[in-house]
Parts: sequence; structure tokens; C-alpha cells
Amino acid sequence: MQKKEQAIITKGLTKTYDKDVLAVDHLDLSIPNNTIYAILGPNGAGKTTTISMLTTLTEPTSGSAQIKGLNIVKEADKVRRKIGVTFQEIVLDPDMTGRESLDFHARLYGMNRSERSKKVDELLQLIELEEAADRLTKTYSGGMKRRLELARGLITDPEILFLDEPTQGLDPQNRMKIWDYIRTLKTNTNMTIILTTHYMDEAAALADRVGIIDQGKIVIEGSPDDLIDKMGADNIKIYGSGNAKKFLSKIEKLSYIENIDTSDDVMQIGVDKGNQRLVEVIRIANENGFSIDDISVSKPDLGDVFLKYTGRQLRDK
Amino acid sequence: MNKTYLLWQKQIKKIRIHPEEIIGMLIQPILWVVLFGVGMRSLMSGSSTNGNDYMTFMVPGIVALTAVSGAIAGGSTWLNERLMGVVKEYLVAPISRLSILMGNASSILTKVLVQSIIIFIVGVLMGAKLGSNPLGWIGGLVLVTGYGIGFSGIALAVASSTDSSEGYHMMIFMLQLPLLFLSNSLYPLETLPMWMRIGAYINPTTYIVTGMRQISLEATPGMGIPANIPLWLSFLVLAVFSILGMWLALKAFKKAIR
Repeated sequence: MQKKEQAIITKGLTKTYDKDVLAVDHLDLSIPNNTIYAILGPNGAGKTTTISMLTTLTEPTSGSAQIKGLNIVKEADKVRRKIGVTFQEIVLDPDMTGRESLDFHARLYGMNRSERSKKVDELLQLIELEEAADRLTKTYSGGMKRRLELARGLITDPEILFLDEPTQGLDPQNRMKIWDYIRTLKTNTNMTIILTTHYMDEAAALADRVGIIDQGKIVIEGSPDDLIDKMGADNIKIYGSGNAKKFLSKIEKLSYIENIDTSDDVMQIGVDKGNQRLVEVIRIANENGFSIDDISVSKPDLGDVFLKYTGRQLRDK
Repeated sequence: MNKTYLLWQKQIKKIRIHPEEIIGMLIQPILWVVLFGVGMRSLMSGSSTNGNDYMTFMVPGIVALTAVSGAIAGGSTWLNERLMGVVKEYLVAPISRLSILMGNASSILTKVLVQSIIIFIVGVLMGAKLGSNPLGWIGGLVLVTGYGIGFSGIALAVASSTDSSEGYHMMIFMLQLPLLFLSNSLYPLETLPMWMRIGAYINPTTYIVTGMRQISLEATPGMGIPANIPLWLSFLVLAVFSILGMWLALKAFKKAIR
């Protein structure tokens, strides 16, 4: 049955607050097993509300959702056994040590002592918190807290892991670490990971599939590459010297050129598919006495995709 | 049950991080007995009641008051955990919602029972007369348990229905005053006007105080023990009260999750 292949299916999932604030608006999602799915959108788009419903914290106003074939309202307790969650805000008890936090969490799920201590040690090592493990979490930096929370979400070996804005407010170094852990999970486990983010580079770097959400609705969905490919018009940037005039006159005649722009020492050539056209552009330069010092193809990013489908900028780059 | 114990243990373990809480927990009841009790005793020693009898008379009232304070502090902890989001960790876990509440209520109760015992000890040192039957002491603690669970329930219910710490304390303060003064904990019922007496009869504080006077202390017969409140009634009222408190808390709690 199709249900089994899908980790999450939502049908018309809707949440209204105070009768008239529509946070999530008839959301239809279908997330296959063993994928990293990113819900990308600006703050206030309905990402956290969606996660709250899927993790059984809030009941939907209407519509339904299934996690591994289990109804999120009627079978909430069974759903809870299958999922791990990290929340947008840091929800660590400041009066517990890192090790205690992990151990407590494992006990909430009924793991036995030997299982627990093995798993706790293993995860402390993964997130590089062994030295700080016996300090109270209130002494931790933001990055350490995030890493500990990630470990906490993982300790029960969930089938589906929800990460709500996992790198919000982190410095680049800690962000990269979190990304690395998520990639490690992707290669080492069969976990399905749902992450929300308002960073487009994060969605592009981690996700197999991206759903762009705006005002409670998914506006477009697909793999990051497909979404960006659909944008067409790659930009080839060339720095160099030589017979620029002759080179450009040849280039102009090619069918796939969309626009040419020269300013100061850089040429920008808009083409349909940059990676495919690059070789020919380089060949033409060589044949026409233009020597290239530096050449690059820059693709449009998910921010541009967001702009295309919503008509608005995705801020917080 | 297992999960109730786990949550109880978490709250109790946290006390070690805050030694000021332990100190406050121990000193507060002592201050009540010594400052309030001794002051009132001097006031009463002129009247027909003997001073030491008044100390005996008021020890249960201080126990009730301490239980209410403990419940308020516990509700406050719960509110903080809710506002910080720590509660979400429990909520996404496959554990019953009732066990989350019971874990909190039982940790509050533990502290209250410890404080009650201190009050008894200090009360006796200050001249209160303890009952001779140890079973009666235990019976008194059973009454405290019912009362403590009931109030923890109310405090947790209020803490589940508000998102502001100020709002919580205002609502609780409104409850706290009549609970203490609209009862026979500080003065005998017979001296009260009718409307206050009616209030006292619907107040569970009257029942814990009356019950403890009958079994845990060597009270002068008749003093502060209304003839129409037999011992079994005290136990019944407090049993019902504890269930009611938990039910309220669970209801408010489930509503807060929606």
C-alpha cells in the first residue's frame, strides 16, 4: 500500500488560532520514507504550527495527518513512540546536566539502564560534548545547547526526526557542525528527517526535497535542484584579458544566450544551462584570443525560487 | 506510575541545585510557629484559653498554610516550565498526561510533608501538646496528603490556564486569603458570624484542621472541634478534595494543549 512508503501524509491540514488567524491553511504534504524534507519559509509562515500538529502537541482545527500510517490525533501515543523532536526554542532544563538531560529523556521513553548509558555515551561523543557532559546546561553556550537537543531527539532512535529551525541563532561553526550531524544521520541511518528553516542555504545543503511554505500554504515542492533548474538562466562570470570584442561577437550568435553584460573587468553571460554551456564558452574564448583568468557559473538559489512563487523576498539570508 | 516517579525524582533532585530553596523550606514554617504562634499565644493567654492550648490549637492551621504555600510554589515551577517550553519534552513523549501532573503534585507533596513534620516538631518545642498515639500522627499526615494533592491540583490548574506569572500569583492570592481566614484554623468557629461560618464549612481547610486536632494533637475537648464534623467526614472531604483538584488540573492541562 502507498501509505507504507510515505512517512507523512497530510490532507487539508488546517490550524486556526482565535477563530480567525489562519496559521496553516489546508496543507497537503506527502513525505516519503528515508528522505530529508525541508519546510522552507519566512518566519510566521506556519512552519512551527505544522510541526506542532505533526508532533501531537496541538490538534488540527480540521483536516488530518498520518505518521507512518498512524493518525496524529486518534493514535497520538503510538505516533509519539515513532518520533523525535527538537523545538525552535531551546527547551533544556537549566538545572540538569547534559548527561542527566539525555538520561531523563531516555527514561521518559522507558529505555533500560544499560541501553541508556550506552546510547548516552555514544551520542555525547557524536556531538562532542563529553567534557561538558556533567555540567549544568545553564552553563552551556547556544551551540552546545542545540547540539545537546539534537542528541536528545536522537536518543530513542526515532523513525522520524523533526528539527524545527535547528540552527537558528548559531554561529557559522556550530551551524556547520549541526549540518554535519544531520548528514551523518542521512548516510548512517534510515531516519526520515523533517526540518524547518528560513535559511535557504540550509534547505539547499541538506534536503532531498523542499516544500516552500508561505502564509500557511505550500506554494511549490520538489528537490532543491529541480526547483532551481526550473528557474533557467544561469549566470557565467568571466574575468580575463585579450580580444574581448571578437570573443563576444562569436558568443552573441549562439542560440542559448539570454543576455550579455560587460562592466569593468567582468563579463556576465546569461545562458539557459550554465553547466552544459560552460565548455563551449571556454572553447570559443580560446579560439578567439581571449584568455580567461577566472570563470564561474552561478546558479539562482532557493531565495530566487521563493521570489518567483510568492512575489516576495525571503529574508534572513 | 513509573513515569510519575521519574518526574517526581527530577523535581526532587533539582533541589540540590538550589540550597536556598531547602533553607527557605525549613525556615518558613519555623518562622510561622515562632513569630505568629508565640505572638498569638500572648494575646490569648489573657483570655480563658491557656496559652499552650492555643499553640496546640494553631499548629494544624500552620500546616495547612504551609501546604498551600508549597502548592503555590509548585504551581509556579510548573508555570515556569510551561513558559520555558520544557513541558513540551514531556508532551511529545509517550507518557500519560495524568502521570505528568501526578509527578509534579507528588514532588510538591513530598516537600509539604517534610515541612509539616518540622512544624509539628517546632510546635511541640514551643508548647503544643502532641497526641499520644503515633497512628494519629500518621493519620494527620494522611490528611495533609489529601489537602496537599487537592491544592497542588488547583495551583497546577491555574498555572495551566494562564501565560503570565503575574496573573498566576494574583489568582492564587485571591484564593489563598479566604482559605486561611475563612476557616477555623486561627479562631474557633463559634466566635464567627454566620456568613463566615458557612464559608468555613465549605472550605477544606476547616476539615484538615479539625481532623488533625482530633487525632494528631492532644486538644482540649470541644476546642476548635465542631461537633458536627466527625473524623470520618474530615477524611472523606479531603479524599474528595484531592480527586477534585487533580481532575481540575487535568482538565485545564488538556485544554492548554489544544
